[in-house]
Amino acid sequence: MSDQQRMLEEMAGGLFADLGAAATLDSDWGTIKEVALDGLLLGEAQGGFGGSWEDALIVFRLAGYHALALPVAEAAIAAALAGRAAGRGTVAAVAEGSLDQSRFDGVLAGVPWGRGADFVVAPCSKGGAIVLETAEATVVEGANIAGEPRDRLIVTDASMSRIDGDPFALMALARVAQMAGALDAALALAVGYVNERQQFGRSLAKFQAVQQALASFACEAAATNCAAMGAAQAMARGSAPFEIAAAKLRANRATGIGTAIAHQVHGAIGFTEDYTLHPLTRRLWGWRSEFGGDRYWSTVLGGPIVAAGSARFWPDLTALTR
Amino acid sequence: MRSLVAPHVDIGSDPRRRANSWAVPDPAFSRALGAAGLIGMTWPKAFGGHERSPLERYVVLEELLAAGAPVGAHWIADRQTGSLLLRYGQEEEKRRWVPGMAAGEIYSCIGLSEPNAGSDLASVRSTARRDGDGWVIEGQKLWTTNAHHAHVIIALVRSEPGSERNAGLSQFVIPMDAPGVTVRPIIDLTGGHDFNEVFFESVKLPASALVGVEGDGWRQVTAELSLERSGPERYLSSTALLLQLIDHARMHPSETLTALVGRLAAETWTLRLMSASVASKIARGEDPALEATMVKDLGNSFEQAMPELIQAAVEIDPAGPEPLGLVLGHLLQLSPSFSLRGGTREILKGIIARGLGLR
Ligand SMILES: Cc1cc2nc3c(=O)[nH]c(=O)nc-3n(C[C@H](O)[C@H](O)[C@H](O)COP(=O)(O)OP(=O)(O)OC[C@H]3O[C@@H](n4cnc5c(N)ncnc54)[C@H](O)[C@@H]3O)c2cc1C
Repeated sequence: MSDQQRMLEEMAGGLFADLGAAATLDSDWGTIKEVALDGLLLGEAQGGFGGSWEDALIVFRLAGYHALALPVAEAAIAAALAGRAAGRGTVAAVAEGSLDQSRFDGVLAGVPWGRGADFVVAPCSKGGAIVLETAEATVVEGANIAGEPRDRLIVTDASMSRIDGDPFALMALARVAQMAGALDAALALAVGYVNERQQFGRSLAKFQAVQQALASFACEAAATNCAAMGAAQAMARGSAPFEIAAAKLRANRATGIGTAIAHQVHGAIGFTEDYTLHPLTRRLWGWRSEFGGDRYWSTVLGGPIVAAGSARFWPDLTALTR
Repeated sequence: MRSLVAPHVDIGSDPRRRANSWAVPDPAFSRALGAAGLIGMTWPKAFGGHERSPLERYVVLEELLAAGAPVGAHWIADRQTGSLLLRYGQEEEKRRWVPGMAAGEIYSCIGLSEPNAGSDLASVRSTARRDGDGWVIEGQKLWTTNAHHAHVIIALVRSEPGSERNAGLSQFVIPMDAPGVTVRPIIDLTGGHDFNEVFFESVKLPASALVGVEGDGWRQVTAELSLERSGPERYLSSTALLLQLIDHARMHPSETLTALVGRLAAETWTLRLMSASVASKIARGEDPALEATMVKDLGNSFEQAMPELIQAAVEIDPAGPEPLGLVLGHLLQLSPSFSLRGGTREILKGIIARGLGLR
């Protein structure tokens, strides 16, 4: 990590720890704007920070670690793809409707914090992506299972432009980074809890069954962080179709194992609204489906491998990093 | 690398030989590899090595394993014994063994486990007794992989009479043809012969046979573990089966198989990153013991789970004759050993738990 990245980590870590799961768009988006984190991936010439995907991994991972209830990743990716510093953008998972050269009629679905967004970047059925002006859109508010806003936007005759880029895959990578952070945070909570909680006259940490379960969790969290790093480094080199698919699959798998162990070692307290585990685990369960679940990414990843045949498997895998 | 390996992994031969190939010995292949400068790559030239970087060596290892090359004869000498001797061995013993190891002609085995010392390695009972300038070894080792091909064994024995647990242990380098050394085969459940019992009856050794410092055996053994645990062999043992699955899925297209290939590829990619990252840390002189342990645990679980996942997804006879079935049936039977050899799953998780501050 460079000195600049260490500063970024410290700044974002401190800020997100304060804001956390209780943050709201209305009262706290200004704080994000002030430090220009929404311009993290936008080029300097366009008024952004000019950060790399390795910088983004640091910030998005911390957003996940602190269960930050603000669309930092969405805004940063939308701004970078649209090349815009002004206003708040977000990314839709799906756009359905009719488009001509410059106008769009239709519905945007699965839009994180779609309410009040100035523009939305969405995957385009004809390849690439579209940028839509959505200040006038009709918003049907919704939420994922963690209570994070996931809205439907109905737009009529909205001004639109076509751009290059793959917002769906980039958001999948952002989710992987957030999941890596959330898994680490849930692991830290679990380790802290079993060291403190006493039963049978000793701390739970002294029971081998508990130790072995948390060791498995630690391996899953480490694997997810490693996969997130591998995919971010590939993006920093240019593109990462294989890596993003693989990393999302790995993060999804770790989510099942990690959240189950985190809840098991916490007992009933972890199942309460007051305790701080669920802002992490409910997000993880929601994010597992968002921007591609296992079925989607495993066929995206497996298809070309099967088509290429076994002789290409290892050479192609190693060519990714050499 | 790929063109060098290709002629030695004949596609026409039994496809099962490519599975778990670091346990498949082929002295002719080992000699060819040695002649190509691909054994002892990081060792000094004075001892037949090639003074290459650890990362160059790492790339060679993973290419060999991914191709299913029969590297079993020299694997332990290259991975462990040569480096151990170079680091701790006495000059005479280094000269005697290491150049032959680099040439792919001298093979070794690891004498740690005993009948009453498995996971609890500190309860080894084999002994070394002083005898003039030299030593006399008595006792027995068990599960010794490759002992029937090896020229030399590195044994951990109790050199201080009456010592307890991990104190008073030392490592010795013992020629397998020394009078008093007997090897008895143990046949595994597949009918294969990889491991053995090794008996030492009044085996006389010169002073030079002591490896490193007397009484320091425990520390020397545990220091090797990062090297032993995080290598690409810890997650690639079932790759031959994944390759068969890819070709099967190509001929019998189905979304289930494509998705399974995708999931297994994602895991392989992640483990490769983790294993390579440990290798880079070792190359920089760090000792990432905890990460190395995680790589082995995750890697073993992955290579162990793969046969079962594939058996569930494909209707095929694991007795053959189709190559996918043959490799599947072979690995189903071998895979229980993956989370035993080199430290069991439970012992690894115990080490990780200690790293988490739980014990
Ligand atoms: C294919 C193969 C090759 C091998 N090659 C070699 C070799 O070349 N040289 C060599 O020295 N050894 C070798 N071994 C031996 C290997 O290192 C041992 O099998 C291993 O250390 C476990 O010892 P054990 O078999 O005696 O099992 P035990 O130690 O008796 O363990 C049996 C079970 O109990 C569990 N257990 C033990 N202690 C604990 C504990 N404290 N907490 C929780 N669970 C526990 C274990 O995890 C395991 O599941 C090989 C083994 C295999 C399978």
